[in-house]
Amino acid sequence: MIRYTTLFVLTLLVLAALSFSLAYLFPGDVLVNLTGITPQNDIQRSALIQQYRLDQPYIVQFAFYLQQLVTGNWGYSFISGLPLRNEVAIALPATIELSAYAMLIAVIVGVPLGCYAGLRSYSTADYAINTGSILSYSFPVFWLALVFILVFSLELGVAPLSGRVSLLFDVPHRTGFVLLDILLADGINRKLAFTDALHHLLLPTLSIALISTAAMIRLTRRSVIDVLNRPYITAARSRGLSKWQIFFRHILRNALLPILPLMAMQITTLITNAMIVETLFSWPGIGNWLIQAIYQRDYPALRIGMLAVSSVVITLTITIDLINRLIDPSREKFERATV
Amino acid sequence: MPMLDIKNLTLEIDTGTSRVKALDKVSLTVNSSEIRALVGESGSGKSLIVSAISGSLPSNWHITADRMSWQGQSLLSMSSAERREVMRRDIAVVFQHPISALDPSATLGEQLEESIPDEFVEGSWFWQRKQSRRSTAISTLHKVGIKQHQQYLSAYPHQISTDIGQKFMIAMALISQPKLLIADDPTRGMETTTKTQLLKLFTRLNQTKALAILFVSHDLLAIASMSHTMTVLYCGQTVESGNMKHLRKRPLHPYTKALLDSAPSFRNDLPPKSTLPTLPGTIPTLQHLPIGCRLGPRCPRAQRDCVITPVVRRIHDHNYSCHFPLHMEKL
Repeated sequence: MIRYTTLFVLTLLVLAALSFSLAYLFPGDVLVNLTGITPQNDIQRSALIQQYRLDQPYIVQFAFYLQQLVTGNWGYSFISGLPLRNEVAIALPATIELSAYAMLIAVIVGVPLGCYAGLRSYSTADYAINTGSILSYSFPVFWLALVFILVFSLELGVAPLSGRVSLLFDVPHRTGFVLLDILLADGINRKLAFTDALHHLLLPTLSIALISTAAMIRLTRRSVIDVLNRPYITAARSRGLSKWQIFFRHILRNALLPILPLMAMQITTLITNAMIVETLFSWPGIGNWLIQAIYQRDYPALRIGMLAVSSVVITLTITIDLINRLIDPSREKFERATV
Repeated sequence: MPMLDIKNLTLEIDTGTSRVKALDKVSLTVNSSEIRALVGESGSGKSLIVSAISGSLPSNWHITADRMSWQGQSLLSMSSAERREVMRRDIAVVFQHPISALDPSATLGEQLEESIPDEFVEGSWFWQRKQSRRSTAISTLHKVGIKQHQQYLSAYPHQISTDIGQKFMIAMALISQPKLLIADDPTRGMETTTKTQLLKLFTRLNQTKALAILFVSHDLLAIASMSHTMTVLYCGQTVESGNMKHLRKRPLHPYTKALLDSAPSFRNDLPPKSTLPTLPGTIPTLQHLPIGCRLGPRCPRAQRDCVITPVVRRIHDHNYSCHFPLHMEKL
């Protein structure tokens, strides 16, 4: 437990150091890169330098930077002039929401299909599922999203082209998760808004989920086949347990435990894909926001955006690993952490 | 009529180019309430027979047999549901490596309790049934000689030692009150005291519950005293089978004699620094099986005729398959 905390804090520190160094590595004025405020005159400039400790050694600067990060003063955007913290607070939940639904679909569809393919390994059904998963795994996500837009939005018109919810609904920002916000909102037709939001969610979620589902199927299938060849499954069969007893009591748990950390690794791919898909669907998430920042050379925004996204990824990965450690009885609690 | 009757069981493995006979016309019978020892070197196919009986062979292995029946029902032509029923109620198997034969993610208690057939569980509500399961599990554990049931029922397989694991496997096998117990090398790697305990347990079960036991081992010393009959296996062929006493006193097959001789004896008149008599060479691999009698290349009595597989000959209830058995001194 302590080891995980140390690992977590250290990784975050390294990330913070990286984002701090970006202020120096980006072209342009360090002061502007760090604060996002363009000083109008020399007096303001020297005051800012004083305030951000830029006249002192790097270590002190970094310590101050950390303090600012922790207290929530993340600097201002070049372009909009708004505090970056608010902008991230709006954009990040949108991405998390999208990825969470995609992950949910991937697990709900991928794990049962993978189990089925594993149990019927090397049969026609298995080959069919495998072929499907390899095919969908090989689609580049940006191409797939474009094809989805072309087919479902433009040709068939079953789903909206872009955005998160129709502009007709004025959904106040509360949690940042659009479905939750709609349920919490007053003064709008919640049912209509909810269906509308679901329609908007459909295509981006599907295009991300397809690849993750394929990965999930392959992971589960492999793991189930491995477990099936273990002696304890043979022993369970020779005790005369029924197929379902063996599957639910012995196969499922043993197959899912080792792939949990691998699922955590899938999250990285998932979020990357989510960021690409967001741009295509004009989804107001962190990916879209970062791409805009890149176009407009909004260096402070880039710095904070990178920090925010990587923190989310690391938090999720370490949490899942920790959960796996806690629920897996065959892993000793005092086992050494491996990175 | 024997309970388990296997005649000319042949097991073939596809190696891609050819088929290898891993078991070649093996015959084995187990009568009710007898202890039969199945003896042979490592790699002689003892565990394969166990897998074939318990039906846990991979699907690309081909089993053929003239007869393979359990109490008159043919095991080979049974549907998988009937086979499962036989395995659940009548035959119990204790596998070689207890720790790997236990599910690592479930507690020992869960695994022991799920082996209890539903007929033995009393009560109609689930909490009554749960309690009944637990008490059956505890009493079975006491029977096999585990006294700290509290500690072990909630333990995971990686937390226990091998002999406790072995006792758990036996408890799991006995909990369904089977008629035949197949023990695949249960004493492997055990220290002598635990081994003795285990063998005593088997003998007691055999005497009190009329449990038939098929005891698979290469440890001749351990089972010589407890088993009634013995089948000797060499390289997938049954070499000799019969009453334990007769076999020990007067083996007819050269391999049985070699096996008996190679057991270290502690006689007082043993000359100092005398060598332990052993057969030269090792058991052949499946890729390089000799034709005919597979003992041929290692046999001290081998002659030209040995390239033809000898037929099984029978003297009373003593079967052997050898062209030049030890009682025919015509070398």
